[in-house]
Amino acid sequence: MMVDSPDRPEPLTGDRNLETEEFVVNMGPQHPSTHGVCRLILTMDGEVIKKVVPDIGFLHRSIEKIAENRTYHQFMIYTDRIDYVSSMNANHAWCVAVEKLAGIEVPERAEYLRVIMAELNRIASHLVFLASFAIDLGAVTPFLYAFRERERIVDLFEMTCGQRLTYNYMRIGGVSKDVPKDFVSETKKFCSYLYPRVDEYEAILTENPIFLGRTKGIGLLDLPTAINYSVSGPPLRGSGLKWDIRKDEPYSAYEKFDFDIPTGENGDTWDRYKVRIEEMRQSARIVEQALEGLPEGGIKAKVPARFRPPQGEAFARIEAPRGEMAYFIVSDGSTKPYRVKIRTASFCNLQALPVMARGWKIADIVAIFGSLDIILPEVDR
Amino acid sequence: MRAARQVWSGVYNLVLGLVTVFKHLGHKAITLQYPDERMPMFERSRGVVVLLSDPETGKLNCTACMVCARICPVYAIDLERSEEPDPETKKRYPVKFEIDNTTCAFCGLCEEACNFDAIKLTGKYEFSVYDQKTLLYDRDFLQELGRDVPYEKKKKPLPKAKAAPKADPTSPKPEEPASPKPEESPEESPGEDKPEA
Repeated sequence: MMVDSPDRPEPLTGDRNLETEEFVVNMGPQHPSTHGVCRLILTMDGEVIKKVVPDIGFLHRSIEKIAENRTYHQFMIYTDRIDYVSSMNANHAWCVAVEKLAGIEVPERAEYLRVIMAELNRIASHLVFLASFAIDLGAVTPFLYAFRERERIVDLFEMTCGQRLTYNYMRIGGVSKDVPKDFVSETKKFCSYLYPRVDEYEAILTENPIFLGRTKGIGLLDLPTAINYSVSGPPLRGSGLKWDIRKDEPYSAYEKFDFDIPTGENGDTWDRYKVRIEEMRQSARIVEQALEGLPEGGIKAKVPARFRPPQGEAFARIEAPRGEMAYFIVSDGSTKPYRVKIRTASFCNLQALPVMARGWKIADIVAIFGSLDIILPEVDR
Repeated sequence: MRAARQVWSGVYNLVLGLVTVFKHLGHKAITLQYPDERMPMFERSRGVVVLLSDPETGKLNCTACMVCARICPVYAIDLERSEEPDPETKKRYPVKFEIDNTTCAFCGLCEEACNFDAIKLTGKYEFSVYDQKTLLYDRDFLQELGRDVPYEKKKKPLPKAKAAPKADPTSPKPEEPASPKPEESPEESPGEDKPEA
């Protein structure tokens, strides 16, 4: 029964002047699809996004400043916490930078072990991307599958270094522990297990009409814009540039392995997803090759406990799952770095979000943001 | 024609996805019902830190050489050294050994640095408590925790190490037990920053 109330607005009639105005929506900081604590300030015109301002800094822990108060060995555990989804790669970048600074030769076996761990971690990180991306778009099943596979990688890590998230496995001049006896066979088993699983994800998602509707042609990032915003990693390769530090500026033992760099064509959300799916297969290939050719020998160069690198500075970068991760170290010859600057891929990739999201609907920003695969602690550091 | 192909592709891929999902129906669950079932922990698992004792004498292996306190990146270890009165052995032991589990990062650097198999990270992981203060583990509690932890002696046995552990270049220089701190130059000793940190 309709009740006539005085608060009820008059019904709209055709001759009334309908003025529209922009309004601001806060997405986050506590929003499940911002993958952490990121606040997106969206200026909306109806349902269309006119402007996005990412408000970051909620997770700032001043890790760069902490580095000035820790020795080179001690800072290793803080690199774990910069990017907790791919700690091995963060460890690796720090090791490469310090070794470059001090000119330390790393044993061959240690380099191979580092590559194996970094690539396994890349697969794990992309699985987390796949899981969260799928569940953001409403596909719950791949989320469970991806975490099931990640569990096996994490078990391999725990078997080797004892931790499941913050590995602290690599050391300046090598790695902390040699792999246990059954690691090689278990990892080989895992690699052969992974290929059909990736096919499975593709069967569920890649050509699914609902998934295509949510991703194909959404959030275009053309190549010049991507380069101008110094986007790196899968978003850059999704836009069509074949740029990968592992190939173009090989570090560790990457020049010895044969792998392809997948690229996309249009630079849309679907391309970025596809690049990561393909990278998982390539990473598994690298792991298999590295296990085949794993040399015998020492796992750690002699580095004193009171490690004092010479005065000077060094810059080293690696290809982390999210893009280029780089450390710039200035040393004054003491046991602690004078200054450390960390370049993380998430921070730079996030800067391209306003360009990518402009003009799309509010539902699409979840897909676009998810396809960048941002890790908020890495953005804020 | 193009529309028909799109419809066909859409239907095919939806069915393909569903078939993939249904293939998993008969599989056994990979999860465990946690409090009743537990995952076996790996040998190298890094959980709660314990102090190890000599199985024969029942005394702590720790000689309070301060290496662990110095390497700890989060300054979670606090220890004080004392000496046994016996003039023959003059064995050093920690009179106070505290680990703050609220700050411990379980990185394992202390275990790696230790030359006497005195400190170890174990696979124990259930240490939730209601009161934060109880997470500050003292020496006796850490020793009790480590009683049942098996370990292999990685370095030379203790009696020999007692006489000349100082020859090892990685271990710290011999220090006067009364005043261990002034020998260290201030910028090298992270352990000294502890009160401020």
